[in-house]
Amino acid sequence: MTETSHFPAPTRDLCGTMHVHRRLLNNSMTYRAQRARIENRALQYKMGRRGAARDEVITIPVVVHVVHHAKVPEQNIDDDQIRSQIDVLNRDFRAANPDVSQVPEVWRPLVADARVEFRLAEHDPLGGATDGIVRVETDQDGFDTDDAVKAAATGGADPWPSDQYLNLWVCQLGGGLLGYAQFPGGPPQTDGVVILYTAFGTTGAAAAPYDGGRTATHEIGHWLDLLHIWGDDDGACASDDRVPDTPNQADSNAGTPSFPHVTCDNGPNGDMFMNYMDYVDDRAMFMFTQGQSERMDACLEGARASFVVAHHTGAPAAQPAAAQPAPAKAAAGAGGNGHAEGPVERLLHDTERLTKEVLDEIHDALGLVTGRTGT
Amino acid sequence: MSASQEAPRDVTGAWLHSFEEDTETEAVYRPSGHAFRPARRPRRGLEFRPDGTFVERRAGPDDRRVGVEGHWERRGPDRVAVSFPAGGRPPFEITVLSRTADRLTIAR
Repeated sequence: MTETSHFPAPTRDLCGTMHVHRRLLNNSMTYRAQRARIENRALQYKMGRRGAARDEVITIPVVVHVVHHAKVPEQNIDDDQIRSQIDVLNRDFRAANPDVSQVPEVWRPLVADARVEFRLAEHDPLGGATDGIVRVETDQDGFDTDDAVKAAATGGADPWPSDQYLNLWVCQLGGGLLGYAQFPGGPPQTDGVVILYTAFGTTGAAAAPYDGGRTATHEIGHWLDLLHIWGDDDGACASDDRVPDTPNQADSNAGTPSFPHVTCDNGPNGDMFMNYMDYVDDRAMFMFTQGQSERMDACLEGARASFVVAHHTGAPAAQPAAAQPAPAKAAAGAGGNGHAEGPVERLLHDTERLTKEVLDEIHDALGLVTGRTGT
Repeated sequence: MSASQEAPRDVTGAWLHSFEEDTETEAVYRPSGHAFRPARRPRRGLEFRPDGTFVERRAGPDDRRVGVEGHWERRGPDRVAVSFPAGGRPPFEITVLSRTADRLTIAR
């Protein structure tokens, strides 16, 4: 986790040095504190101290930025390929994918419907009608994982407000990379997911063995705070994915493994390599677990609560702020009537509490610097 | 012809692991601009800079390549030592088996 923090969006003309400076800043306490808060919330859900406030399905508006080079026309993927990706997401995050039937029997009770759906945005950030697809021609032959694709100034496409839309960038990536994500709590101007154009969706330019749309499922799993199932510990068995119902496994799996594959004394069933958060081929991954769904709930009711609030208030994400006075009014009305807290009110109160915690932390930090405490 | 009779091999450049080409005894690296086959696991990168600085890039928890800077130095015609004075990774040595413009092979 090298990226970070919630600094204001940069101006469009940041020079290279400023980008470096920003990245250095991003490694600051601010991001670590933000991540610690997100992790703490996930822990509360994991320990059963908190539970999901919502029981219905929420829909996340998506904008797809197709960043393509004129010399390679197939990079400009067609609308059908994009829609095929949205279809895969809507199956995978609802456990409605046909291949879920291949989950080994021992783990079938763990299969989770994450109650999240995705829809191409119907309103742009100014409230105008859109099909949720932005096409940008670039002079870059390919992109690395340095976020250049996420800014027009560096040959990419600027994001739409990342608290209202899930931004997906589709482009050529160098080094054979399929995609990368950003965890919640990182900078809003780079928030979203990047996918190789041949690993996006199931039709058109999508190429085997990554033509099942599962790269986006995996990366959006990260965007919703899921960790790799092996715990990113290079085979050490020392750390796991902080989800209780996924077995600890040594390292990533690849290709199409055979069940069972035992590591880290996790027999007899071994690695849950068919989980979306492993590194197997598209056709070999087909489940999220209940524990992972719980961790996504913690994220959606914490760092990414703006999507749940927009969903509950009926305010289509992507309406201009002035056009949607409803959220504050609805929340104030419910609270003022003395009813039990609904999900929106609870989230708003959580935000207040978190803000107070941040202020307390700043206060404490100032106390440390000045040598005064308790003032 | 043994390596010790040759001039030290030049390893400078930015390389990515072309693991599909590995054998039981060799790990194959290609220049970072090589047309690699897509792979879900991000490829490990080794960058040997002429000024002696070094960057190792590995898969991060969000699938980005995460780089850690260190230093490299020769320990003979085919041995290279890498260290990370600022921490972050343990030091290691590699044995270079061959190097051409588009291929670096090291002992596994």
